Amino acid sequence: MERDTLLGLYSDMWLIRAFEQALEREFEQGNVPGMLHTGLGQEATQAALASHLKATDCFFPDHRCHGINALAQQRHRGNGERIMAELFGKATGVCSGKGGSLHSADPAAGNFGDNAVEGSYMATVLGVALASQLRGQPNVACAIIGDGTVGRGEFHESLNMAAIWNLPVLYACVNNGYAISMPVGQGHASADIIDLAKGYGFACDQVDGNDIVAAHTKVGAAIEHIRQGNGPYFLEFKTWRWQGIFAGEFRPEAEVKYWREDHDPILMANEVLQSMGVDIAKLNATEQSQRNMIEEWIAFAKESPSPDLAKATANVYVSWEVAPK
Amino acid sequence: MSDSTTLADPAKPAKKPRKTSFTKALNDALDIGMERFPEMFLIGEDIGEMGGDFAVTKNLWAKYGAARVRDTPLSEAAIIGTCVGAAMVGMRPVAEIMFADFLGECYDQIVNNAAKVHYMFDGQFTAPLVIRTACGGGFGGGPHHSQSVEGWFLNVPGIVIVAPSNPADAKGLLLASIESDDPVLFLEHKALYRTRGDVAEGYYTTPLGKAAIAREGTDITVVATMRMVPMALAAADELEAEGISVEVIDLRTIRPYDAETILESVAKTGRAVVANEAPKIGGLGAELSARIHEECFYDLKAPVGRVDGLDTPIPFSVPLEHEILPDQTNIVSAIRVTIEAGR
Repeated sequence: MERDTLLGLYSDMWLIRAFEQALEREFEQGNVPGMLHTGLGQEATQAALASHLKATDCFFPDHRCHGINALAQQRHRGNGERIMAELFGKATGVCSGKGGSLHSADPAAGNFGDNAVEGSYMATVLGVALASQLRGQPNVACAIIGDGTVGRGEFHESLNMAAIWNLPVLYACVNNGYAISMPVGQGHASADIIDLAKGYGFACDQVDGNDIVAAHTKVGAAIEHIRQGNGPYFLEFKTWRWQGIFAGEFRPEAEVKYWREDHDPILMANEVLQSMGVDIAKLNATEQSQRNMIEEWIAFAKESPSPDLAKATANVYVSWEVAPK
Repeated sequence: MSDSTTLADPAKPAKKPRKTSFTKALNDALDIGMERFPEMFLIGEDIGEMGGDFAVTKNLWAKYGAARVRDTPLSEAAIIGTCVGAAMVGMRPVAEIMFADFLGECYDQIVNNAAKVHYMFDGQFTAPLVIRTACGGGFGGGPHHSQSVEGWFLNVPGIVIVAPSNPADAKGLLLASIESDDPVLFLEHKALYRTRGDVAEGYYTTPLGKAAIAREGTDITVVATMRMVPMALAAADELEAEGISVEVIDLRTIRPYDAETILESVAKTGRAVVANEAPKIGGLGAELSARIHEECFYDLKAPVGRVDGLDTPIPFSVPLEHEILPDQTNIVSAIRVTIEAGR
């Protein structure tokens, strides 16, 4: 990989990490309502996907996807702070504060929003892909799903339908080892989700989701495959989430140490870049620059007004008004 | 029946009516819709060459091809998910869910996606899709092929529920549903498929959210849906001989419903009966009865009467099914009770 490409991805990963860490801090201080599921530890997977998805493509993010939402928003719309404001429930958010952490969307950034019934959009993605196919557009429709999502019937309905219709769908399966507390090998017939996907007969692959070079390369190959009209593609990212469960950390100490210290996607990329001759000071400056930008976004979100109360009854229907209180 | 509220396309005027079945009227609407909207497609189980379990999509596969008339495997969630996704990017999908009882398989797609994408993303998406489905009992279909499902969706903001009672409205309401930018659950009562009536040829729409006064009267208002409408009209004929003048309102759109027409009528007659085939508790009848009591209390001469299905699943045995489903006799007696109570 070219040094500049990797530097760009390194910067993207820091945007995600800085976003999530600042958000976590604000959440703990009570400034962010609702629930919070961070993508810390999964930065390489999200940065790899974001780098290949165009604004004309579509992705359905999952609940740990603030990072890719912010990246896409910043890249395609130049206003990543609107993702932050959405998480604070503010009027300046991408959905005027009506969606929040689990439903941030902006179709002009390719972001079609999460459905917090995880896996639900595995069915929805088919329609976006079908529209592209019927219109003869070379667009990719991507569903970012977790290993837990595979337990839903929609997983199988979706893969089957995408296969029989040869739809341009990228299934980006982020296997972080656990569905809340359920280990992947306990919840599914195989701890390798690819084993469940293979039966549908289309292209499948796996990648170390914390190795940004490998992940970027494999996402690129998958998206090219789909754009060429070769039908759906299933790509499993092996990764790990930093966040535990509500009660705290529940995973074995050695496992935690391996993923957080020895297999941190950002540290790994940092080492590769230094081996390419990039100065550590430059890498530190990249981190600091992203952290500074995120703090500006936090300030923007905090200073933004709450939505006008008329928003509460707006856009229930297109053709009918709902009366206010 | 719906002439006063039927909107004809001035560019392509509707031709004179002729006797048409409910099924054929629906088929005509789909055919006209497919011609008018190049980005409309049909999707469902056995709707292609076979023409659908109730022949509503007959001949459309041959005319429009397999890309626009799409047969699917038994995957209701994927069918509706496909519709929602395609609608989010501006297409106009029309799904057929063979039996309304199967809507449980795609409930999440309807309730959490179709009904909410416009709201939760604050207007950035719309979901202009139609879900046609065969509902209702009376033919020995048993517990999973006979249910009235409007109550399952009545409590879902964002969804439109349309329920025609006659062929002319079936056609006009289906075309209006196809043109609607809101997601529509379009209920087709199976017992109505073979009924016939005057249907204008060509394009026209019947507005959503507007009830029709199917019969004018002065003593009591009956608000009915789908198969209960012809039953209510027959009950009105029966009672006319006894000097009771019954006004029958065909609700046509169940959500959002036309409260204005109902309340005006009840204010005039001072009495009301609501007739719906679904189980009594928590359904349309409960909503309409509550609304009438709430807003017409001082006009009422008697409590609102209710005709509903019993609070049971639908049994297979035909005598048992008849025992639990409401019919003309139940409507007649509910009217009599309400009239007597108000004397």
